[in-house]
Amino acid sequence: MSEIIKKDPRKEFGAAVFAAAQKNPDIVAISADSGGSSGFGDFKAAYPERYFEFGIMEQCAVGAASGLATTGKIPVFCAIAPFVTVHSLEMLRNDLGYMRQNVKIVGRNGGITYSDLGSTHHSLEDFAITRMIPDMLVLAPQDPTEIKNAVQAMIDHKGPVYMRIGNEPIPCFLPDEPFKIGKGSVLREGRDVAIIATGTQTGSVLDAVGALTAKGIDPMVIGMATISPIDVDIIRHAAGVTGKIVTVEEHYIPGGLGSAVSEVCAEFCPVPIKMLGIPKSYASVGPYGELMAYYGLDAAGIAASVTAFAGK
Amino acid sequence: MSGDMIKTLEGHAARCRRNVLRMVEAGGAGHMGGAMSCIDVVTALYFSVMNIDPANPKMSGRDRFILSAGHKCMAQYAVLAERGFFDKKVLDTYGSLHTKIPGHPDMHKLPGVEANTGALGHGLSIGLGMALGLKLDQSPARVFVVMGDGELAEGSNWEAVAAAAHHKADNLTVIVDYNGLQIGGKTADIMSFEPVRARFEAFGWAGADIDGNSMPDVVDALGRLPFEKGKPSVIVAHTVKAKGLSFAENKAAYHYWKPGADELEQAIRELDAQIEEAGA
Repeated sequence: MSEIIKKDPRKEFGAAVFAAAQKNPDIVAISADSGGSSGFGDFKAAYPERYFEFGIMEQCAVGAASGLATTGKIPVFCAIAPFVTVHSLEMLRNDLGYMRQNVKIVGRNGGITYSDLGSTHHSLEDFAITRMIPDMLVLAPQDPTEIKNAVQAMIDHKGPVYMRIGNEPIPCFLPDEPFKIGKGSVLREGRDVAIIATGTQTGSVLDAVGALTAKGIDPMVIGMATISPIDVDIIRHAAGVTGKIVTVEEHYIPGGLGSAVSEVCAEFCPVPIKMLGIPKSYASVGPYGELMAYYGLDAAGIAASVTAFAGK
Repeated sequence: MSGDMIKTLEGHAARCRRNVLRMVEAGGAGHMGGAMSCIDVVTALYFSVMNIDPANPKMSGRDRFILSAGHKCMAQYAVLAERGFFDKKVLDTYGSLHTKIPGHPDMHKLPGVEANTGALGHGLSIGLGMALGLKLDQSPARVFVVMGDGELAEGSNWEAVAAAAHHKADNLTVIVDYNGLQIGGKTADIMSFEPVRARFEAFGWAGADIDGNSMPDVVDALGRLPFEKGKPSVIVAHTVKAKGLSFAENKAAYHYWKPGADELEQAIRELDAQIEEAGA
């Protein structure tokens, strides 16, 4: 993947929302003193009356987004991931989930992309808590093109959505095609082990494939951009073909993709599972790439873990 | 408003209080105290102020009512039933399995309910969003949010109070059901928010203090909205907890009421007398 172009996920997100807003006058943007960093600059300039600034009050912003949605608007609220999830959790559950309002919550700088800012700014439990909210979709698109298409899909979907995007530029490796909510995709066929990844980690997993095949391991790679509802069929398929599953995510090991996959396997297709992610502790700090490598979530670390688990 | 019309509203309020008893009788218990304190305000809103149609509860351009203090839901159910949003027989299902009138309101279960409240500190933010959406549509519709005085302690409310002033949401009105009591005792002792109106005003709202159990006062204040163009309005409605039941008035113990047969009988007697007195 050395020649692949990298793009800023926030800019891709903002551009996609702006493009959708040009076609749909019901789309409104919500900012918590974060619109510029969320890629909402063009939106604000073009549609100031549809751009609602709430300052640093995420709880009110989520509640107000619910109220706006009751009038037929489609609010898109993007801010730093822990502040739109953990800080506003009761509003997500009651005002969006329980009220079943058509609001799109986007947590940017998800995972540990704010690597140097410490645990207050890390978001390593957002999948776990949002996937416990009934009727809320949880999305983690995997490359810039998919972010664009996932934005359109989440706006077309009627109901609450949580989408996580990162911050660091990420490589383009997926085709430009409509995003299928609730569907994973087999990115590489393989027979020895199925690696199921989401968000930023899917690109790293693909980068690890060369090292695995060099060791004689033939991995299936599945991109799982929807965390909830999880794609049961593709997990059963993966378990049936390979008999071993590794999950990879920029999230605490418990609670997120790995747990969702394990729940499916426990009920339908018991197979050994290795869950890769960040241990449930307050993560360390430092440059993003170095920190990901420290937690074994770069291509080399993923290859080493998969080899130890599935090596012949 | 004429004296006759006030009297008619007072009759509606008395019957709504009786509807609350009907629910308590069915379910065996409920958050009676706050329901009775705010019911005059809720009655006035639904019977004389708000642009609503019970036959078309989702009518475009309707005014919106949010009971942020969702535990007072028996007041809302009582008034919605009296106003014809649903059959009064539903009131007899309070406390039963799968009832449409749970202990906090659910918009997906009952016509006329605009928001799911119960966790305190949510309704005003939702109401603000509604107000902003209606303004964006250039709708004349207004949003009314009833809050409890104890509820004012939730910090999220003050985010919304600031944001409503910032966004000049003059189609938004908060009515604080200021009965001075919360579950653990006097609001002034537990967490005082005095002076309530001045605090709202300091955030950029326009306000009034009224007797929230006096129908002429209530109707007068609701008829003067917005108090100031460009500002959201707050009505601090000074009320009596468990208003209408002599043995329970102004007692924190009646926040949640599980009556014995004697108390229930007395309550029914007193409210039936009030309905008769109202002559409506």
